Amino acid sequence: MSFELREHTADVAVEASGDTLDACFAAVADGLTAAQCDDVPDGVGDRFELSVESERVESLLFDYLDELVYERDVRSVLPADHEAAVTGGDDGTWRVDASARGVPFDAVEAREVKAVTYSEMRVEETADGWHAYVVFDV
Amino acid sequence: MTTYDAGAVTLRKVRDYVWEMPKQGDMRVPARVFASEALLDEISDDKTLEQLRNATHLPGITKYAICMPDGHQGYGFPVGGVGAMDARDGCISPGAVGYDINCGVRMMTTNLTYDDVQGHEQELVESLFANVPSGLGGGGVFEGTVGDVDAILEDGVQWALRNDWAVPEDLEHCEDEGKRPDADPTAISQKAKDRGKNQIGSLGSGNHFLEVQRVTDVYDDEVADAFDLTEDQVVVLIHCGSRGLGHQTCNDYLRRIEKTHAGLLDSLPDRELAAAPAGSQLADEYYGAMCAAINFAWVNRQLIMHRTRQVFEQVFDRDWRDMEMHLLYDVAHNIAKKEHHQVGVDADGTVVADDGDAVEYETRELYVHRKGATRAFPAGREEVPPAYRAVGQPVIIPGSMGTGSYVLRGGERSMHETFGSTAHGAGRLMSRTQAKKEYRGGDVQTALREHDRIYVKAQSGATVAEEAPGVYKDVDEVVRVSDALGIGDRVARTFPVCNIKG
Repeated sequence: MSFELREHTADVAVEASGDTLDACFAAVADGLTAAQCDDVPDGVGDRFELSVESERVESLLFDYLDELVYERDVRSVLPADHEAAVTGGDDGTWRVDASARGVPFDAVEAREVKAVTYSEMRVEETADGWHAYVVFDV
Repeated sequence: MTTYDAGAVTLRKVRDYVWEMPKQGDMRVPARVFASEALLDEISDDKTLEQLRNATHLPGITKYAICMPDGHQGYGFPVGGVGAMDARDGCISPGAVGYDINCGVRMMTTNLTYDDVQGHEQELVESLFANVPSGLGGGGVFEGTVGDVDAILEDGVQWALRNDWAVPEDLEHCEDEGKRPDADPTAISQKAKDRGKNQIGSLGSGNHFLEVQRVTDVYDDEVADAFDLTEDQVVVLIHCGSRGLGHQTCNDYLRRIEKTHAGLLDSLPDRELAAAPAGSQLADEYYGAMCAAINFAWVNRQLIMHRTRQVFEQVFDRDWRDMEMHLLYDVAHNIAKKEHHQVGVDADGTVVADDGDAVEYETRELYVHRKGATRAFPAGREEVPPAYRAVGQPVIIPGSMGTGSYVLRGGERSMHETFGSTAHGAGRLMSRTQAKKEYRGGDVQTALREHDRIYVKAQSGATVAEEAPGVYKDVDEVVRVSDALGIGDRVARTFPVCNIKG
C-alpha cells in the first residue's frame, strides 16, 4: 500500500492505493497523518481501536477519516500506523474496523488538518487494486 | 466585446474588473468574477472557476454566483465565493460556508506607536507565544466543561463579559454585539462540544495567526479617524475560527443533509455542495447550529484578544486600559446569514442578473453564503454598529506574514454588486506541498527578521514554510480592485511587527 500528498492550492490532497480495500483505507489514513506531521517517531504511543458504519464506500471512507480527526482531538494524540478491515457492501451497509497508534502530541511536531471533505473524492477498484483520492481541509 | 479565455470557459467582460461566465447547461444563473486581468490569470489557474460554475447549480441561487478578487480553489464551493440563496424556496449549504464556521479576523487598536514597541519585539513575540495557545493540542486559555460550551454557544461574547474576559465596549464593536440571536446550542452534537471544550481561546494552526502590526498608511483621514487609526500606531490582528467544534458541526450537517436530501444532492455536481432546502427541518437546524458556532468563534477570538491585553500589560508594565487596547471590529469570512437585499426582477417576478433586464425591484430574504469573503455593508445600514454607521462597516483583510494587511470600509456599491461583500485576504497562490519544496521555515524566519524586522514564532517550521509570503497573491492588488469596484474602500494599511502561528 502507498500514498502520495498531491498539490492543492489551499488544502492538501492524498492519493492512495492498495491491493485490497483494507490496505487502501489504511493508506489514506497514513496520508492524513503525513499531512499533519513530516516525521512520526517509531514506538511511541499506544494503539487504540475504532469502528465506523456507513451507507456507501465513499461515505465510509469519509466517516472513518472524520472519526480519526475526532479521536485526535479528544485523545490528544496523532493517530498513525493505521490498520483497517473493510466489510459489507452487499446489503447497503459498509463497516470498517480499524486501529491506529496514538502518538502523544508532545512527541511530534504536528500541524492540524481541520476536516475531511467530499470534494473530488474517489474510491475505485481497478485491475491493479483499489485507488482513493481525498482532499483535506487545513 | 472583450473576452477572457479561461480554457474550459470563456468569460465576458461586463466592465472594468467585472467578468461574467454565461449561463450554460444546468447552471441556474450566470457567475461573476470580480478581478483584474492579473488576478484572473491566477484565479483561472486552478479549479476555482469550475467550482464557481458548480455553485450556480444550487437551488434558489440569486442573480449570480460570485468570485472575489482573492478567489482560489477550495472544496465544493470556491474560497472567495459568495452565493445568495432565496430563504423561501432556495437552500442553505454547509459546504458553501466551510468547515471553519465564523473563521474570521478581529483588530484591536492601541495608543502605542512603533517607537514604543521597538526593542521589545523579541520579548513580545515570546510572551505572546507562551500565553496564547496555538498548534495541535495546545489547549485553550479557558479550560471549560460541556456546560460552559453550552453557555458560550447560547450567549456568545455576553458569556465572556460575565466571566471577566470582556468589557462592554467589546460587545459594542462586534458584529451583532457578539451574540447571534438565532443560535441553537441543542443543534450542536455532543461530539462537537467534546472537541470544543478543550479549545476555548486557541489559535489552531494552518493559516491562523496573531500579529502585532504598525499602521504604515492612512488613505482616508475621516474614516480612519472614526476607526481610531493613525499612522505609526500599533494594532493587533487575530485570525482564527470555531476550531474543532465548528469543523465537527459542518461535518455533522453535511452528512445528515446528504442522507435526508439525497434527491437534491443528486442534482448537484459535487457532493460537497450538499444543501438543505429552505424551510426544511435540517435547514433550520443547521442555521441554528451555525449561529451557535458563530458565537463560539467570537468567544474564541475574544479570549485570545483579552489574553493579549494581559501580555501587553506584562511586557510594557502598564494597565491595558492605559494603552487604550480597544476592539476595532470583528469580521467573519466563513458564514451564511439571513439578510434582506433588493434585487431586480422581470415581468414574471424572476430575479435577473443584469439590472438592464429589471422591470422593478423587490426586497428578498436571502441566505447570503460568504466562504472566504467578508461582509462589507456601507454607511447607513442598520446592521452596522452605531459607532460606524455614519462611515460604513470596518472590513479587515489580512495579507501574509511578510506583507501588509488592510482596513477597508464597506463600499457604496457593495449592496448592488456583491450582496454587501468583499474579499477576505490575499488568497493562496501556491500549494502547501509546493511551498515546502520552495522554502525552509528557518530561512523564512531569518529573512523576515533581518530584512523586514518582522519577528515570527511558530509551533512548526513546516507551518512557516507553508505560509511564506511568496505563497500568497498580491494583497495590494486584491484591495486595489475592491477599492476600484467600490465594494470595499481602502482606509489604512498595516505591516507586521510580531507574528505567532500554530
